[in-house]
Amino acid sequence: MQDIKTYLSPRGIDEAVRAMAAGDVTVFCGGTDLSPQVESGARQYTATLMNIRRVEGMSGIAEAGNLVRIGALTTVTEIRRDPLVARVASILAEAAEHFASDQIRNAASLGGNICNASPAGDMINPLLVLDAEVELARWQDGAVATRRVAMADFFLAPRQTAKRDGELLTAVFFARPATNFVACFRKSGPRPALEISTVSVGIGGRLDNGVFRDVRVAMGSVAPTPLRARHVEAALEGKRLDADGILAAVAAAKTDAKPIDDVRASAWYREHLVQVFTEEVLNHVLGN
Amino acid sequence: MEQKVATPIEKKTLIGSRVKKPDAADKATGKTRYINDMVLPQMLIGKVLFAGRPHAKIVSIDVSAAERLPGVHAVLTGKDAAGLKFGFVRDNVPLKEKVLCEHDEIAAVAADTEEIALKALELIKVEYEDLPAVFSPEAGREASAPQLRENFPDNKSLRFEFKHGDLATAEAASDFIADNIFRPHHVTHCCMGTSCAIADFDNNGKLTIWTQTQYPYNYKMDLAPALGIAPGDIRVIQPPVGGAFGSKLDVYPYEPIAALLARKTGRPVKVIYSREEEFKASPTRQAAIIHMRTGCTRDGTLTFRSADVLLDNGAYTSWGPTIPVIMMRTTSGHYRVPVVDFQAQAIYTNNPYAGSFRGYGNVQTTFATAQQMDILADQVDIDPLAFHLKNAQKSGEVTPQKSFLRECVLAECLETAARASDYSRKRAAYAAERGKPGRYKKGIGLASSIHNAGGAKIHKSDGIGTILKVDDYARVTVITGASEIGQGIDAVINLIVAEELGVPLEHITIINNDSDIAPWDVGVHASRTTFIAGNGTRRAARKAKAQILKAAEKMLGEPAAALELRGGSVVRDQCGTPLIKLDRLLRQMHFQAEPELVMVTDYYEPNSQPEGADHVSDHSAAYSHAVHIAEITVDTLTGEIKVDKITSAQDVGRVINRMGLEAQTEGGIAIGLGYALSENMQLEGGMLKNPCFRDYKLITAPEMPELEMHFIESHCAEGPYGAKGVSELPTIVIAPAIANALFNATGVRIFNPPLSPEKVARAIHETRQGGN
Repeated sequence: MQDIKTYLSPRGIDEAVRAMAAGDVTVFCGGTDLSPQVESGARQYTATLMNIRRVEGMSGIAEAGNLVRIGALTTVTEIRRDPLVARVASILAEAAEHFASDQIRNAASLGGNICNASPAGDMINPLLVLDAEVELARWQDGAVATRRVAMADFFLAPRQTAKRDGELLTAVFFARPATNFVACFRKSGPRPALEISTVSVGIGGRLDNGVFRDVRVAMGSVAPTPLRARHVEAALEGKRLDADGILAAVAAAKTDAKPIDDVRASAWYREHLVQVFTEEVLNHVLGN
Repeated sequence: MEQKVATPIEKKTLIGSRVKKPDAADKATGKTRYINDMVLPQMLIGKVLFAGRPHAKIVSIDVSAAERLPGVHAVLTGKDAAGLKFGFVRDNVPLKEKVLCEHDEIAAVAADTEEIALKALELIKVEYEDLPAVFSPEAGREASAPQLRENFPDNKSLRFEFKHGDLATAEAASDFIADNIFRPHHVTHCCMGTSCAIADFDNNGKLTIWTQTQYPYNYKMDLAPALGIAPGDIRVIQPPVGGAFGSKLDVYPYEPIAALLARKTGRPVKVIYSREEEFKASPTRQAAIIHMRTGCTRDGTLTFRSADVLLDNGAYTSWGPTIPVIMMRTTSGHYRVPVVDFQAQAIYTNNPYAGSFRGYGNVQTTFATAQQMDILADQVDIDPLAFHLKNAQKSGEVTPQKSFLRECVLAECLETAARASDYSRKRAAYAAERGKPGRYKKGIGLASSIHNAGGAKIHKSDGIGTILKVDDYARVTVITGASEIGQGIDAVINLIVAEELGVPLEHITIINNDSDIAPWDVGVHASRTTFIAGNGTRRAARKAKAQILKAAEKMLGEPAAALELRGGSVVRDQCGTPLIKLDRLLRQMHFQAEPELVMVTDYYEPNSQPEGADHVSDHSAAYSHAVHIAEITVDTLTGEIKVDKITSAQDVGRVINRMGLEAQTEGGIAIGLGYALSENMQLEGGMLKNPCFRDYKLITAPEMPELEMHFIESHCAEGPYGAKGVSELPTIVIAPAIANALFNATGVRIFNPPLSPEKVARAIHETRQGGN
């Protein structure tokens, strides 16, 4: 057990990333993943614990030109209730709706859910469908420098992301979806509340006179990382969304999913559910 | 002495009214100080080193580094507890010299803080040599299986048998036989307050232990050998408990460990489990393999029931493997069964071991009997309701084990629940929908059971002592053996005292948490406390009342028989005219020439017979039935079962505290739903894979279905005001009701709970594949 030597509560991004540049910092926000991980011994706090809750400029949901920006500190509850999200990216609100419990939604931040990089992270799935990018800030040459990484490239391995040491995830951006964009999300577990996804499937795209375009499909808990289901996307792209199209997508879903047996479900059940949900979500999209 | 202006005080009964638990406000506002909150001066924290492997020899253990750590006051290992055997068959010790299950306690540390104690545990070096292990009772029975316990050849632990009538003849006379193997699984209690004990010795060698036990008196007897002291040298204090549900009906190693550390250090020591430790080291519900066969004739008359039960004893023997005592009562008494053949054998394994758990054996057995009733009804091709009614016992019948069903309203329970839920029509309609296309299918299922409802005389006595005093201010103190573990007995005692003595509920104090003060009681188990303590309280209150009215007769010159206690006064029973305030009368009694205080004692022993070695006895003073009807919607693709509604009808004898009864029924149903649908200790090679609430799925609020509860009043002659015990039946009947509904909806039956989405999806999928 390592003792925490220093506690920081920075007010600015510069202050935060400067502290991170010095190394050995555990970033803390809602704590809904971190605290139980430390409690169970899966992770340890480092010498410096930095609570980023009060960093300015990292909260809230706003439009910037054609982009929607969600600050990393934004809580799942805020996303769930946000009118802009409801209007332009309802799939995000839908995922927030099914996220854990009220207590956890009130504390959990979007940035934390992404950085935790769990294949079951519920906010990741809709962001993949929205083709979002994350903004990463670091302290470089005496100033804050940022870069953006597509969510689809962000997750490298279980609990491993493209975020480098000293980088802080500050915000998520995605292009405001077209007016004919439709999307839907489905997750499942043995009970309706406080559930970690056994499997999640999110599908979005533009429905152009019955033809599905710019299709993006995301799957959770069926591989070591959250993934874009490229075979399902290929099966759907530019095709009419009809019974045959859905059947082809369901078949492709089996190719994309590489599930394992674990304490929550067997590989068989996950593979089964991915197909059920792919069909269900597409029927739902069609119905819209 | 008669008052000038006297408004009559109306006669009003509290029986059946809604009375709040006296501790509710303190619990809701966080004022209650649980044992978990308690800190004593000089108190040390004890932590336990668990083996973390299922079966091993301890080659060496080195505690020197731990002992040297500043802040550590004692380190104990198996050699410090050698010979301190305890448990039902004396097969357990507080600290082990050999590993028999994952949570075996290998060493214990007492330190100034938890942090130091945990650090000390890390410094203990243990070298193990792993041994071949046994992870199922079937494997334990094999000739090639390693023998786990020296004194138990073939790994055989307890065995139970009951036979009645000629099985071969009954089988030959049966037109239909249901023959299935059921595999009820491991679940655990999940008390909100984790296991905790604080122990402290005085210099005369007397131990005071603060603990969560639900049986403080026999507890002394059971704890004593684990410490090598006399039971009389133990004082048990029970602070408010954060749940028990049967899990605190035995001594578990953390309690003697706390005491051994206290003795070694001469200071109070507190041992409290983390949630993970609680999952791994607290008892489970008994897992079993039940091969059950039930026969009936073409006209739907039951002919026999046989059960061959194999119990996973785990590494040690607590209450778990004794559940056949109740399993056989259900096998022989659930409906009129003329021929019975029951046998149960417990086999030692290297799995966690089971204790008692609300529903004690009956949850497992009813999962089998109630499904076979459904299966047989379909074989006979009659409505299950008619089949149940045809075989339902009536008042006055006696079961093959001699359970005397004095007041039996099983038929009324069946009819009430069936009528309220429109059972027969829906079942037929849903069955007709079964083979048709459609992702979501509705189902309805009925299950019933029988349970002891007037105690269970498995000890030599099933009684209770009560002391009641009324002071000079007409405040009543009840000193009773009945423990409050959250089930609501305090509210029941208050209600009964107020009913008998006409005092406000708020003027009653209950002392029931100190074994040096309160008189004996068997403990909170077997749905017995309202029945037994209710009778004890009523008898004590009536003795006090008789004394008070006799004094009033002397003072007022009116016959005691014409007087009554009402609204804090002595009144004329007939017209309610108040004659004297009760407190004034009590003071006059006290300060008169021949002073008297109102202090009475009572010992109540229910009218029941000891269980006996042959298991043929009327072991409870009452028996009761419950019927649950579950209505569900099944997602045939994901396998998810949504429980839409539960309609229950239960024989409660008489409603005492309606609010408490409703709450206890709801709580019982919640536990039953978790058992049926989602709770599961996932054991792999004896190791628990999901020791946390993230992966061990309790039922949460959104999953609670609509409940429609019918309380049937059979007016039990022996029960207090006619009441029967109620606690366990709601937990017992839920799982088979849902299993029967699942079959009604999908044609699929699952014999190994929980009926998890994955299992249901797979079973439906396989049926469809098979059908193709």
